[in-house]
Amino acid sequence: MIENSLFENSDLIALFTTLKMALVTTVILMVIGTPLAWYLAKMKSRFKIAIEAIVALPIVLPPTVLGFYLLIAFSPQHLPGQLWQSITGQQLAFSFSAIVIGSIFYSLPFVVQPLQKAFEQLGDDVLEAGAMLGANSLDRFFTIVLPITKASFITAASLGFAHTVGEFGIVLMIGGNISGETKVLSIALFEHVEAFNYAKAHLLAGSLLVGSFVVLGLIYLLNYSKPTTVHTKNEVNN
Amino acid sequence: MNNILKELSFNFNSQFDGFALSIKQTLPTKGITGIFGHSGSGKSTLLRLISGLENSTTGQLSLNGNVLFDSNHKLNIKPEKRRIGLVFQDSRLFPHLNVQQNLAYAHKRCLHKQLNINDIIDLTQLKPLLHKKVTLLSGGEKQRVAIARAVLSEPELLLLDEPLSALDNQNKALMITLLLDVQRTLNIPMLYVSHSLAELQQIADNLLVMKQGNIEHFGPIHPIIHALNNTKETLQQTSLSLIVKEHLPEYGLTSLQLTTDIVIYLPLQSNTTVANDKTLTPKKIRCYIAASDISISRHEATDSSIVNHFQAKILDIQPQNNTVLITLTCAEQVFYSSISLWSAERLSLSLHDLVYIQFKASAVHSLADIGEL
Repeated sequence: MIENSLFENSDLIALFTTLKMALVTTVILMVIGTPLAWYLAKMKSRFKIAIEAIVALPIVLPPTVLGFYLLIAFSPQHLPGQLWQSITGQQLAFSFSAIVIGSIFYSLPFVVQPLQKAFEQLGDDVLEAGAMLGANSLDRFFTIVLPITKASFITAASLGFAHTVGEFGIVLMIGGNISGETKVLSIALFEHVEAFNYAKAHLLAGSLLVGSFVVLGLIYLLNYSKPTTVHTKNEVNN
Repeated sequence: MNNILKELSFNFNSQFDGFALSIKQTLPTKGITGIFGHSGSGKSTLLRLISGLENSTTGQLSLNGNVLFDSNHKLNIKPEKRRIGLVFQDSRLFPHLNVQQNLAYAHKRCLHKQLNINDIIDLTQLKPLLHKKVTLLSGGEKQRVAIARAVLSEPELLLLDEPLSALDNQNKALMITLLLDVQRTLNIPMLYVSHSLAELQQIADNLLVMKQGNIEHFGPIHPIIHALNNTKETLQQTSLSLIVKEHLPEYGLTSLQLTTDIVIYLPLQSNTTVANDKTLTPKKIRCYIAASDISISRHEATDSSIVNHFQAKILDIQPQNNTVLITLTCAEQVFYSSISLWSAERLSLSLHDLVYIQFKASAVHSLADIGEL
């Protein structure tokens, strides 16, 4: 049945691997990206610029450069790879975990930057108001920060997910091409092109194109209908 | 058996960029205490230190016997645990919640919940606005919600940081009436910061004056306002709090009782927003007269159109450049008159002279005129 369908079995497995990788990466990115974005938005240290530059590096760096260094770090000859192997008993390089970790680095700016911008715009005014009404910091985050910056959270998660789906170079470097483990859609597409199977390549490329367009369209639609309402310090009562 | 001191005691020494604050004071936590000062005097910083929103200081703070801050013992109670409310100048309502939800936010987090939310809604006249988005409210409406929200957190002390500065005159008068109502009904002690002496004259029982990070004066409102007359930094004025004798709508006047024989006329107050005081009868009105609006005569001008004229005794004469500030007394009420040096010399005024002071009814300002200065 699968053979008769539009997609090859290996393409469907690549699709599943891609979605799994993107989902796991996005969840982890939201968990670590939110406090990092908060810290960057609120910190006044001189190190802020350095940290911001490090977070933004994947935007300008060729994915293969990041992939190359991560591949070296994940190898059993180096500390991160050794540490992973001693804890899990498995090699890190060329594993699903490796491509998730690589994706986290690669998509980090797409999650951190929209959140940082939203937190900066939010300012301290409404948070101080919340504190004066008896809300502690966690309460303030969930009842003030999160609802007001909801659109930015949606944007961050969507961009993180979509960007991870579209990864190629970094996954190829640290994950290789293991079906069901590290072979993602972009690599499957590359394989079809190498084999001059343009019909299959068109199908995958078109699917990625339409999928990305739909995701971005949804983001803009959500942000258009529910704009982030930010109470800025410059608000003046009429 | 309740021996807890009802007072706010603080001792702060802070150094900010180009600004030092050094203040030590104990204030009774009852009624409304005004904090007056010009821009940069440190009055808003003082509120932020008391609320806990600003911590870069050394010193101590205690409220009603509870220590909230002590830098020596590294004690610093978080703002949300201090049971102190703060109404900000810019209201700071939560934009993602409507009016009712903003109020419920405070009520939900209040530990004691002794106040009924509907009573506060009635008191602050917010019922028609409950389902409105806060972004659609006018400035006056926003501040009403902010006050109601702060009250619903049932603070032991309510701080108000220039809450009316962004409002027009009419809204200012309405809000002062509302705040006085809230204070008297709920008996919440308030610290009210403003750079408008006219506003504080109407609302505060005591006045604390700050200048360049230090406290210059503290005491009951009228004597402190009079003490400021010598600084020439504020409008020189006579500050009064008198009982209403009668309203004369046919003449557009209201009369206030100075003594059994002497009344002071001012523009009709019965239709304006005079404090709706349900506990005090007869009704009192606070008003002020600019020193430059009171003139002095050796003889009573009974044939003048000026309605207020009565005898007073000169207590003090202070030459100030080409003017003279004269302090007079009538029935234990002090009046201030600022006249030209030339007039003072022409009248040969000297201490303890009995003279007549006179001023028009329109020179007596009350709540409705609050925004003029």
